Amino acid sequence: MSSQVSRTDTGVGVSFIASAVIHLAVFLLFAWWGRQFPTAPVIQETYYVDVVTLPTVAPQAGSTINNPGKTKAASLPAPTLPMAVPRPPKTVPKTGTQSIKTASPQDAAETEAAFAERMAKLEKNSEARREEAVLEKLRSKVKVASASKTGMPGAGGADAGSRYADYVRSRLEDALKVTSSYTTKNPEVAVRLTIAADGRLARIKIERSSGDAAFELAVRRAIDLASEKFTAPPNHTTFDNGFIFKPKGISSGKPR
Amino acid sequence: MAIILGAGIIVKLVLLLLLSFSVVSWAIILFKFFQVQRANSESERFMDFFWKSKRFDAIASQVDRFANSPLTVLFNEGYSELKKVVEPDSKSDGSALSTDLGGVENVSRALRRATNSEITRLEKYLTFLATTGSTSPFIGLFGTVWGIMTAFEGIGKTGSASLAVVAPGIAEALIATAIGLVAAIPAVMAYNHFQHKIRVLINEMDSFSTEFLNIVQRNIAGK
Repeated sequence: MSSQVSRTDTGVGVSFIASAVIHLAVFLLFAWWGRQFPTAPVIQETYYVDVVTLPTVAPQAGSTINNPGKTKAASLPAPTLPMAVPRPPKTVPKTGTQSIKTASPQDAAETEAAFAERMAKLEKNSEARREEAVLEKLRSKVKVASASKTGMPGAGGADAGSRYADYVRSRLEDALKVTSSYTTKNPEVAVRLTIAADGRLARIKIERSSGDAAFELAVRRAIDLASEKFTAPPNHTTFDNGFIFKPKGISSGKPR
Repeated sequence: MAIILGAGIIVKLVLLLLLSFSVVSWAIILFKFFQVQRANSESERFMDFFWKSKRFDAIASQVDRFANSPLTVLFNEGYSELKKVVEPDSKSDGSALSTDLGGVENVSRALRRATNSEITRLEKYLTFLATTGSTSPFIGLFGTVWGIMTAFEGIGKTGSASLAVVAPGIAEALIATAIGLVAAIPAVMAYNHFQHKIRVLINEMDSFSTEFLNIVQRNIAGK
């Protein structure tokens, strides 16, 4: 080509360098991104639900461990005005004198801290009285209830924790349903065992089962355990017999 | 990044090859982008200038301003050929008269040659983009297949086929295909784009050649 023009093309070398720089920049960006926001492995947490301490319908029956303050607040509705509390008459004059004392001029020099302390003491006193009054009310109510033969069965009117005992019993029953070996009332498994002439357990056939998997498992384990020390059947014959397993005992069925 | 470092040697080599393909193809993309863009804009300006001016020698003195346009090259080639055709006549005869069309034929051939060389210049390196676009997915696939093969070999040796054992090897293998696609997609797109742009430039060159020949023939015939 005999062209005399001088070109100002961007050289291939420049393009190469630019391309390499771009790739490096992208790589560094990815590296930086990976370090900035590392992909945390997703670990699925397993939650175990404590069946025994699940919240219950009756507020008082709820577990006292979880929120003792709440339970107390629910059972003792706090009146806003202290005068609304029915308090024993003998304490009234005492409060009166104290309040008069607070107003007397000699206490004007009292430090604020001392005042606050005294105020707290007074409040505690009134709180204690209020609680006592409410308790008294509750006791009379319970007495009436037990007199008319209503309320929870087996709950003695005198003891305040009777409902809690019932609560505990019901929780235990729930838990027992989970952990108990037998979930049906009368589990029954009929098994036919075949024992070979050499005393080896040749065959186990479960002919009938009440559907209680736990009891069935127990029966299987029992058979396994027992079969370890079977002696050989007499007369070198094969032994074949049915057994009916119950929690109370095992009855032998008729041999086939 | 750990996914790359943990891969086997073959997969690493494949990744390196793909990376170099990507670097080279991007270099070509950048180079071609500027080249084609400059050619387009300068061709436009040159055509404006060409139609405005009356004389070829006036254009020839200004032609350096449009050095990156393929049309400028065509004009230069055509003009120098034209001078060679006309000057011997003027020397020998003094009348600069050429009635036969041999001179025009010469100019036409010179223009065709210049067009071909310009097409070659514009299409230079573009084949690499086409190659990258069509082969790098396969290269990546090769890396993936190799990686999965080694992963299964490892599984067979350990004898455990839990997901925790199988998954990392396959993930390492799959990155080769991903990089292959990353290299191929821009290359194919750029290849198609530049093909179109260069076809437009070739059309422009063809029409300019015809115009140039027309002017030459008109002037020679008119003289």
